Amino acid sequence: MQEMIDRLRSEASAATAAAGDDAALEAVRVAVLGRKGSLTALLRGLKDLDEAARREAGAALNVLKEEISAVIEARQAELGGDRPAASSGLDLTLPGRAPAPIGSRHPLLTVLENICDIFHGMGFSRDEGPEVELDYYNFTALNFPDDHPARDIQDTFYFNDKVLLRTQTSPVQVRMMERREPPLACIFPGRVYRNENADASHSSEFFQVEGLVVDRSVSMADLKDTVDTFVRNFFGASAPTRFRPHYFPFTEPSVEVDMQCILCGGKGCGVCKQSGWLEIMGAGMVHPNVFKAAGYPDDRYTGFAFGMGIDRIAMLKYGITDIRLLYENDLRFLNQFRGVQ
Amino acid sequence: MKISLDWLSDFVDWTDETAVLAARLTAAGLNVEGIEQINKTFPGVVVARVLEREKHPDADRLSLCKVDDGTGAPVQVVCGAPNVRAGLTVLFARVGAELPGDLRIKKSKIRGVESHGMICSAAELELSLDGAGIIELDTKLPNGTPADDLFGFKDTVLEVEVTPNRPDWLSHVGVAREVAAIYGTKMSLPPVFNAVQGGESLGVKVRVEHYADCGRYTAWGLQRVKIAPSPRWMQNRLLAIGARPINNVVDITNYVMFEMGQPLHAFDRGQLAGNAITVRRAPKNTSVQTLDGQTREVEAGTLMVCDEKGPVALAGVMGLGNSEVSEKTTEVLLESAFFNASLVRKASRRMGLISESSYRFERGADWDMVERAALRALQLLQEHAGARIVPDWADRHDPDHRPADPLPLRVWQVNRVLGTAVNTGQVAQILQRLGLKVQPMGNAESISAGAVNMMVQVPSHRRDLLMEVDLIEEIARIHGLDQLTGRGGYRVPGGAVRRPQDVARDRLRGWLSSCGYTEIVTSSFMEAGDHDKLALAADDARRATLAVVNPRHGGDTQLRTVLAPSALAVSRRNLNAGATPPLRFFQINRVFRPGQPLGRDTRHADEALLPAEHEYVQVIVAGWRDTGLGGLPCDLLEIRGTVEAMAGHLRLPLTLEAGTDESWLDAGAAWSVRAADGRVVGVAGRVAPGVLAAFDVDGPVALAEVRLDDLDLTPAPARFEPFTRFPAVKRDLSLLVPAEVAYGQIRDTVDSSGGPFLESSELFDFYRGKGVPEGQAAFGIRLKFRSPKGSLTGETVDAAIGEILTALKDRWAIDPRG
Ligand SMILES: [Zn+2]
Repeated sequence: MQEMIDRLRSEASAATAAAGDDAALEAVRVAVLGRKGSLTALLRGLKDLDEAARREAGAALNVLKEEISAVIEARQAELGGDRPAASSGLDLTLPGRAPAPIGSRHPLLTVLENICDIFHGMGFSRDEGPEVELDYYNFTALNFPDDHPARDIQDTFYFNDKVLLRTQTSPVQVRMMERREPPLACIFPGRVYRNENADASHSSEFFQVEGLVVDRSVSMADLKDTVDTFVRNFFGASAPTRFRPHYFPFTEPSVEVDMQCILCGGKGCGVCKQSGWLEIMGAGMVHPNVFKAAGYPDDRYTGFAFGMGIDRIAMLKYGITDIRLLYENDLRFLNQFRGVQ
Repeated sequence: MKISLDWLSDFVDWTDETAVLAARLTAAGLNVEGIEQINKTFPGVVVARVLEREKHPDADRLSLCKVDDGTGAPVQVVCGAPNVRAGLTVLFARVGAELPGDLRIKKSKIRGVESHGMICSAAELELSLDGAGIIELDTKLPNGTPADDLFGFKDTVLEVEVTPNRPDWLSHVGVAREVAAIYGTKMSLPPVFNAVQGGESLGVKVRVEHYADCGRYTAWGLQRVKIAPSPRWMQNRLLAIGARPINNVVDITNYVMFEMGQPLHAFDRGQLAGNAITVRRAPKNTSVQTLDGQTREVEAGTLMVCDEKGPVALAGVMGLGNSEVSEKTTEVLLESAFFNASLVRKASRRMGLISESSYRFERGADWDMVERAALRALQLLQEHAGARIVPDWADRHDPDHRPADPLPLRVWQVNRVLGTAVNTGQVAQILQRLGLKVQPMGNAESISAGAVNMMVQVPSHRRDLLMEVDLIEEIARIHGLDQLTGRGGYRVPGGAVRRPQDVARDRLRGWLSSCGYTEIVTSSFMEAGDHDKLALAADDARRATLAVVNPRHGGDTQLRTVLAPSALAVSRRNLNAGATPPLRFFQINRVFRPGQPLGRDTRHADEALLPAEHEYVQVIVAGWRDTGLGGLPCDLLEIRGTVEAMAGHLRLPLTLEAGTDESWLDAGAAWSVRAADGRVVGVAGRVAPGVLAAFDVDGPVALAEVRLDDLDLTPAPARFEPFTRFPAVKRDLSLLVPAEVAYGQIRDTVDSSGGPFLESSELFDFYRGKGVPEGQAAFGIRLKFRSPKGSLTGETVDAAIGEILTALKDRWAIDPRG
């Protein structure tokens, strides 16, 4: 019996493959699966076997029947996919007409909006500041001492001694605190600038989202919760984050936040340089000197702030290997983000 | 910064393997970015003695030698070094030896003579950069002793990222302190010299002009110095952390700096003029030759170290060539000082000269280390440069210098900021592990807002700890940031409301991309000459730009005042890349207009220096050459339609009015966009052919832009109005229109003469050509009449149409067709 099944299987696939049009394929189907087909005949012959053999052969034949049907179906798809409906004679394979062509949102700004949406859901309001900033807001009010190496971390475009292109979205923190009393929970997305030459991972213009929370008694633990909630929502993973102590003049304590590498799940890969971790933001507790610059009374409030680079997150999310692609505006790149919201 | 673990283990013990140590340092804030294993080994290379040396029979420059490599029988080897001779003790690579650079020694024939190995030079073993000849060893070790016993070296090096607030981590001792704090163990400082030798006096007087510039200056004398290579172990450690060995004196000053963090400088005493050293500002611009051989301009006001003739060092940055230690040096003046961070930084910036010394001084030196580091160096110089230390030393320091005041610490505030529940005992213990002195205050256990629980004395190497919150950070680091457990996330009371501009921008992005437009992000900079290419008038206010004074090499400097050049550049790029037109793009981006009102409330007096930042939405259709209704170019039709639909989509009353004075648009194919109050808030139209040519765009471009920050983006509210359910009567008008009459004029006439029941009029056909008389066009207009009171009779509608036709005839000489 097994021998017959095997032979039928190979004969049926050969005949199916040889069928050059629908009619030929239909003939194959009838010859094998039809009422008088060879497989049907074998099924009929089962009754002559004893019970054990019958059960075994019956199961095998049913499997074969499925296989052959699938092979015929696949061949049918190969031969023409959608076929004109015999009844109407309309060629339903012709392309449709869209109400409008398809465009796309820029992946950077999509990521930026997604991030803002998550924080909006957590109760954060949104604001922006100027891109051409005073040295005062970009550095001095953020507790960067004059003529201190902390300023070297960020190569700055200057227009004169007092005016520069902001190197970070953090100056909006001070502008916000000057105007409003806590409780505050805000995010500040926007474009920032660094005076450096472009390469695959650096661009002199890029985007950040800054966050600020100030109240009577918010803590570093609240910061950790907020960051974890964001990471869970944005990256989907239940990946834990890791706080590493760091230094930013305008926060104290300061940390860098790492998340488990989304590409390798923490095992280590090229993207995370085998560490299993990806740095996603800088954060910390608002420095008392920043509160002082904003005009808040000593000791009344505590707060936390965080900032992340949108470009890097977009590159991670979409597997983009060269930051310059984000600013070249080439349709061969941008068209890949059609429908990405 | 690189840290050698071999070196580090001089000062502190730890038990973890390297990866764990690295992880713990990273968790404490000293980010370990890389771990490098160094294993310098020379398999098959041994100590040997040259027994005989003769000339090679067939080559003038080669020698034929017999060496004893400890195996018994003399080995024949060909050698090319000029200094090889009988009796030398050398390093010999046997057949099968492996040398750096994957060089394997094989038995070979050189000019017909067999050679069984190689006598090695220092360069071949990568022991030095000097490859002049073979190594001449001075050792009594027996032949056959492995070279590893002399030169083998194993180490593990951590590459660490040191943040600007932690200059104390720029040394092995500083990192050892951190390791001790992490593991709760003790660390020990390097031993210091305390025996004084010699009888002569230093004979140098030191003067510091202003203690604010240099809080302390010490000078130490050394005599009978023998300049030679530094010991192998020191060279190995320096090489391991990426420093280049030079000679014993220079290496020792560098070694002590990397070990203890204090930069030192060695002067050749014989080259110093007179017997006085003065630390003072340069009175006027001068030019000097620095140790790196370059001539540099020094600005007036730069802090200098001078002898009686003039400058001998740029204080804290680099020594000068005139007093450099050389092979001939026999007397050394060693400087260990505390220079003002800001002055060192300014000098280093101005001259573009960043040295290991300036890097440390500008981040802040350690007062207490000035003397200790000098003593350490003296000890090493005595041991490894044969130096004799003179008994006295010069020390000038600010008499008003005081240690930092103790900082008050409230445990209540620690827990408030961190969200922890630590107690006074835990806090004190952590601070003590970090080497801070803790003085309990009042009721140490009382945790309340006002209670200071302890006073904390900060040592001189932690001058970054200035206030309570700095101590809180230390507690967080050592307590462990992974210990933080939150309350489920901070939620701001009341939640947030989206601002109209955010809603509008988001909707524009969504809608325009659904309409086939692709969003672009373009640079805020413009190219020089863009304004000329746009043919902006000479007095156009947009010609005033802000320019960066320190651009990237070759980068653009001016901030854009117009978006159009970026639209043209993106069109050109994609048309040239062969994208199929029509290409549709949009952007929401800013331009920067100096001297314009900011349109926001300001707090800081200098804000008047900032430019206004105007945000535009711009839509672009490029490369579309087809024409549509009325012979109008399709791109122009679409741009107009897009602006109108955009207004509808945002529920903003924007209107287009033919004509604009925008120089870069084609005057006959452009509109002004007006807001409800009549202000012009944008333009739309085709880019003028001359401008397209100037930007090298091969194809037409139509675009529209509307300034968003100038509009109230709150959508007009929706309010229901009752509508009539009686049926409408539709009538089509077919008109013959003289060519000079515009559709807009017909539309206005129809609307004003159609009577109370005319609900709408709509152009459904436009035709010019065969079947229509020359100089005329055929318009098809669909009219809809409706009454709220009941069904309209044919007579009422006919009467209304009669009025319309009469008006069209009277005003524009338009006749019904056929
Ligand atoms: Zn990974």
